[in-house]
Amino acid sequence: MISTFISHELKAFWRSRNTGKSIAIRVVMGVLILYLFLNVLFVGLFLNKILESVFPNEELIKSFCGIILIYFLFDLLFRLQLQELSTLRVQPYLHLPVKRNSIVRYLALSGVLSVFNLWPFVLFFPFVFKIVAHDLGMPVALAFCVAIIGLSIFNNYLALYIKRKSNMNGWIFLIAAAVLVLVTTCDFKWHLFSIQNISYLFFGHLITVPALALLPLLLGVVMYYFNFLYLKNNLYLEQLTAHKIKSYKSSTDIPYLSRFGKVGDLTANEIKLILRNKRSRSALIMGLFFMFYGLIFYTNAAYGDGFKVFVGLFMTGIFIINYGQFMFSWQASHFDGLLVGKIDFADFLKGKYLLFTIVSTVAFLLTTPYVYFGWNVLVIHFVMYLWNIGVTATIVLFFANRNYKRIDLSKGAAMNWEGVGATQLLLSFPLFLLPYVFYGPFAFFKHSNIGLAVLAVIAIIAITTRNYWIKQLEADYKTKRYKIAEGFRNK
Amino acid sequence: MIEIKNLKKVYGGVTVVNVPQLTIAKGESIGLVGNNGAGKTTLFRMILDLILPEAGEVLSNGEVVAGSESWKSYTASYLDEGFLIDYLTPEEYLYFIGGLHQQSQPQVDETLAQLGDFFNGEILRTGKYIRDLSKGNQCKVGVASCLLQNPQLLMLDEPFANIDPSTQFRLKNMLKDLNKSKGITTIVSSHDLNHITDVCDRILLMEKGVIIKDIATSSSTLNELEDYFGVGQTFTAAVKVDEEENH
Repeated sequence: MISTFISHELKAFWRSRNTGKSIAIRVVMGVLILYLFLNVLFVGLFLNKILESVFPNEELIKSFCGIILIYFLFDLLFRLQLQELSTLRVQPYLHLPVKRNSIVRYLALSGVLSVFNLWPFVLFFPFVFKIVAHDLGMPVALAFCVAIIGLSIFNNYLALYIKRKSNMNGWIFLIAAAVLVLVTTCDFKWHLFSIQNISYLFFGHLITVPALALLPLLLGVVMYYFNFLYLKNNLYLEQLTAHKIKSYKSSTDIPYLSRFGKVGDLTANEIKLILRNKRSRSALIMGLFFMFYGLIFYTNAAYGDGFKVFVGLFMTGIFIINYGQFMFSWQASHFDGLLVGKIDFADFLKGKYLLFTIVSTVAFLLTTPYVYFGWNVLVIHFVMYLWNIGVTATIVLFFANRNYKRIDLSKGAAMNWEGVGATQLLLSFPLFLLPYVFYGPFAFFKHSNIGLAVLAVIAIIAITTRNYWIKQLEADYKTKRYKIAEGFRNK
Repeated sequence: MIEIKNLKKVYGGVTVVNVPQLTIAKGESIGLVGNNGAGKTTLFRMILDLILPEAGEVLSNGEVVAGSESWKSYTASYLDEGFLIDYLTPEEYLYFIGGLHQQSQPQVDETLAQLGDFFNGEILRTGKYIRDLSKGNQCKVGVASCLLQNPQLLMLDEPFANIDPSTQFRLKNMLKDLNKSKGITTIVSSHDLNHITDVCDRILLMEKGVIIKDIATSSSTLNELEDYFGVGQTFTAAVKVDEEENH
């Protein structure tokens, strides 16, 4: 059965309407991963030299024991942000005589196929076989291997579990991320406890009692089982209760927006779209999560103004980038209705700008506490805020005219995390790079304030000439509308 | 009202719609029938400028619909659930549609009050999003949104397909009333030959993209259509059943 699933998945990939685009993304991802792989391999091969220079006073194997758990802590942080969920459109199989368990097993097992599971092996195994096997003998080296495999599996399924849970409830992701950040800060900043010491303790004992290696493996298996159970229960719940009404849904008005007339109505509808659909809601909550990015960069003096431009762009514009790159697919399911309705496309676009402006303004206001790190942070944020509502929004809408792929908001949200993953971040790189085209040369010659002023001027020009851009986008849209509508009609 | 000239649509080398000439006068009620794949929905979509024909054009009130916006102010249509914004409640959606036609919420409420029977208490104030309604109830919302727009031209694609018998009956009466007393031009497609001959004055029969029959409804129309769709099998089948029962 599992081989049938695999062949169906491959067919789904090759026959998808977006195959060209996905292959291009995969090629770029592949090159990036290969580059990373070589880097990590290099670090892995010379880990003994690196450890010697970082911990010159400690015994080599002891310092190695200390870093393993720290590695897995950060591994978990990265997995939470970047690892993608394995997906299978389960609905067509549910009513067939296919065992529920084999569907779930496929979903759960294919979760292991992630590049993240490659890194611990590349990083640690050379050291284990080079140094540990040499000094302490083969049984201990094998115990290390088993423990590392166990921890990888555990991390893998813990990350997937959290991600799956947060598909149902976006807050879980925020809570999990906050807990992880708290654990990290407690250790490295406040020294309440030391993960390094725990790591010493465990791997130290592992040297004397190699059988202890089974403990992480057991944790991994338990975590897998949790995933399995969760998927199994939700396979049931998600599909069979999709049309069950959970609570009374009341109609709401957003009075503030009604003053904008038709444009306001369109924006109000889109705000409801975001809040009432899981996928779009996740995009919004992820945006909230990125409000903490400043803490990572600003607490470290090593990052200069150049990084602040990046962080400012990211924090005030993450929603535009994250949500905007799927436009107008969010509305794919009722696009025909919008086309035949008495809606001017210019109004439609103005509604998008209004939405972006509202969300970015809120994001900018949320980032004002970063003024703690100096007034120039606030100035940079403000300039990037203008840049986002002026330039980024227009670029995003330009690409929205070229997006023909349907997103089904009502289905599949529970089993996929499209919209927030590594591939999506990759797509947004050009948006991040653009401001540096203008800012970079000035910053390079130590005139970063002029660079910032240039960004501000461009942003203000873009905002004041918005009606011109709307006309351009409208003319562009007129040539593409049939293709967009046709793409959206194809389920 | 509607004039079609040399309209042609091709998908993958197959001509799915080919209408050399068709004129629909103001106030006519048109019934569109044909088997699956006959091109009914495609024809609808071209009239509504949702897809671009390979050749030819559709004129609405003398103006080409492609790229134009003016027909939208007097045309109301419901083809499928893709016309509804499914994460809104029916009230929110209907207010939105009313708002597009410069109607205040009380004005919308007034129109909806007349539809109480048609809704049968299953649409308004039920606390559901449109996506949580059954297909039949979604169809009711779609039809109601059409009526809100006070159209001169009303287009419905298979409106009878998912609704219950009493709503079918009410919808038939509504369509007749709209056409006869308000003079609204209606174009309705259906697989139910009884309904369509009951409601419409003129029947267009499509086969493989071509309108092969264009008949004014009379007492013999239903039989004529049944003959076409039955392809001569109904009679023999009926005889066989009789024989078995006699034994």
